[in-house]
Amino acid sequence: MTRLQALAAGTILAGAAMTAGSASAATICFAFQDLETEFWVAGHGAITKTLKDAGHTVIERNANEDANRQLEQVRDCIAQGVDGIILIPQDGESATTIVAEAQDADTPIAVFNRPPSDLSKGIVVVADNATIAGQAVDSIVEKAIAAKPEGKLNAIIVVGDLGDPNAVGRKNGFYAAINKHADRFDVTEVASQWDAATALANLEAAVTANPKVDLLFTSSDFLFPTIRSVFEPRGLWKKTGEEGHVWMAGLDGDATACQLVKDGFVDATGVQDLYFEAEKSLEAILAAIDAGEAQPNEVIEDPGFALTTDNLGTREKDMWGCVLLSQGFLKNKS
Amino acid sequence: MTRLTDIALRHATFLVFALVLLWFGLQAPGFLSPESIANIVKQAAFIGIAAIGMTFVLLTAGIDLSVGSVIYLAPLIAGFAMRDLGIGVGGGLVVAVVSGAFLGAINAAAIVGLRIIPFIVTLATLFAFRGFGAFLTGSQQFDFDADMRAFGLASIGPVPLPIVFFAGLAGLAHVVLTRTAFGRQIYAVGNDPEAARKAGLPVDWIRARVYVISGACAGLAGFVVIAQIGRLDAGFGEGREFDVIAAAVLGGASLFGGIGSALGAVVGATLIQTVRSGLVFTGVNLYLQPILMAGIIFLAVLIDSLRARRARQLKRRTIRPIDA
Repeated sequence: MTRLQALAAGTILAGAAMTAGSASAATICFAFQDLETEFWVAGHGAITKTLKDAGHTVIERNANEDANRQLEQVRDCIAQGVDGIILIPQDGESATTIVAEAQDADTPIAVFNRPPSDLSKGIVVVADNATIAGQAVDSIVEKAIAAKPEGKLNAIIVVGDLGDPNAVGRKNGFYAAINKHADRFDVTEVASQWDAATALANLEAAVTANPKVDLLFTSSDFLFPTIRSVFEPRGLWKKTGEEGHVWMAGLDGDATACQLVKDGFVDATGVQDLYFEAEKSLEAILAAIDAGEAQPNEVIEDPGFALTTDNLGTREKDMWGCVLLSQGFLKNKS
Repeated sequence: MTRLTDIALRHATFLVFALVLLWFGLQAPGFLSPESIANIVKQAAFIGIAAIGMTFVLLTAGIDLSVGSVIYLAPLIAGFAMRDLGIGVGGGLVVAVVSGAFLGAINAAAIVGLRIIPFIVTLATLFAFRGFGAFLTGSQQFDFDADMRAFGLASIGPVPLPIVFFAGLAGLAHVVLTRTAFGRQIYAVGNDPEAARKAGLPVDWIRARVYVISGACAGLAGFVVIAQIGRLDAGFGEGREFDVIAAAVLGGASLFGGIGSALGAVVGATLIQTVRSGLVFTGVNLYLQPILMAGIIFLAVLIDSLRARRARQLKRRTIRPIDA
């Protein structure tokens, strides 16, 4: 059922499908690192649905979070003579290697969302994580300071896997916002390594070390249930306006975050424009195939935006997680 | 001096544990507070429960690489059972453990029945079990009802439920390994399977049972953590087999079989979590944390290997005295 919903999200890409259809029927290798969160599942659904609807053949390869396996899978695709490759890499370094491999074989390649360390090669469609995170954190920093004009505020950042450029960008965006008021904040960094159990253990330790929390930023929305399980027993999981509310922001723009913003537990989330990114990836790779360009190099940036409690009414429809939510994505949520 | 060295080496892991506690306690006094210690043990329960099961496998000179996937799949099956059959959290817990045992039995059947080496079998099931879970969910997260989280966050008196499960399982495993014929048979098989076979022990049956135990423990471990979070993501448990094996080995289990204990696994898992929590408490740079973590684990294992070498030397001297 949820897979169908994710695929349904792809129908929003009807405009992209028209562009995709302009290329003659091509065989595209879609190599992705895994489908471990809502964002990647929705992105995968959007890309495959659009390509298939436009009459292209899609060869899917799941690397199960193994960069070496992904390299072998891409080599296999090249050996099969695919017309182009869309890649969701495991990390920035392996992405650089894979892009070089594809370009050496004169196969156009587009990297979706998780950028290679070397941005000069291949079509790279990437969210400006630092800016998006900065926007989301800015909004809660202002509110936290307004709520407590004097004294120090304790902030926590739940950091992702530091081997992932997205995680690094989000961390930088957080600090860019915090450092505007550096004298007001004490920051605790909590490693999550993109793993719920790791985040649970480390966040418990951080909150035990310092139970007073004013503000929290999580580098990915998928960790909000974990944060809830740590905050709830300590009386820190409160809605906006309630005594003890912790100002919270995330990044991704998934369905859970949309629900939590609506409920008032979360104040902001940085949104990657999934549909924009998928559309631009497809446009660029199919245009390169049509033009017979074997080694296209282009960086396409997703500016993203921050969904906050203030702009929820006007921007909700632009957030992929809210679209999924409206389609019943969290049907079995507690 | 030699006697002191012998004592130190014999209790190497405990010594490292004490030093780690002392170091972080001096750096951040709150680290040694009862709440902090309880939190460490609670979070150690996840890896510790699975490490107890892994110890049974390692004692027979086997290995179970599939635990990370069982940690994911067993609670997922329990979740479906709870949602579709309305069996409640208690029933879900039983389903998770039974599912884990069943997944372990699949490993056992291939290892014992088809005579395939454990490394290959469990490497295959590592992917197969996770793939099956992804198939069931379409790679989507699975959200549990609120009563699941209430269960995960519950306590018996002042003791959080994860610690109760951890302590109960550790006690049970300790009794099984030290006070029952089955426990002694496991050590016998691990020390010398051929000798055990000649002594009339059902070696295959013993080997099969340890994989079932490992699966059941992994299922319980996964359920205990997911009960706290309330959501099972598709990537949950990935790579955890290495943490589980590390905890068991850190607790003194030998990868070559015949050496190890349930309480050692408890110490190993708790030591790992103590270091992790200590690094958070003291605000160590996130880039340095994995390096320090690896360094402390390496130190503990190194001291343990020195202990083992010393023990072998002492044994040799007893058989063939130097001045004889």
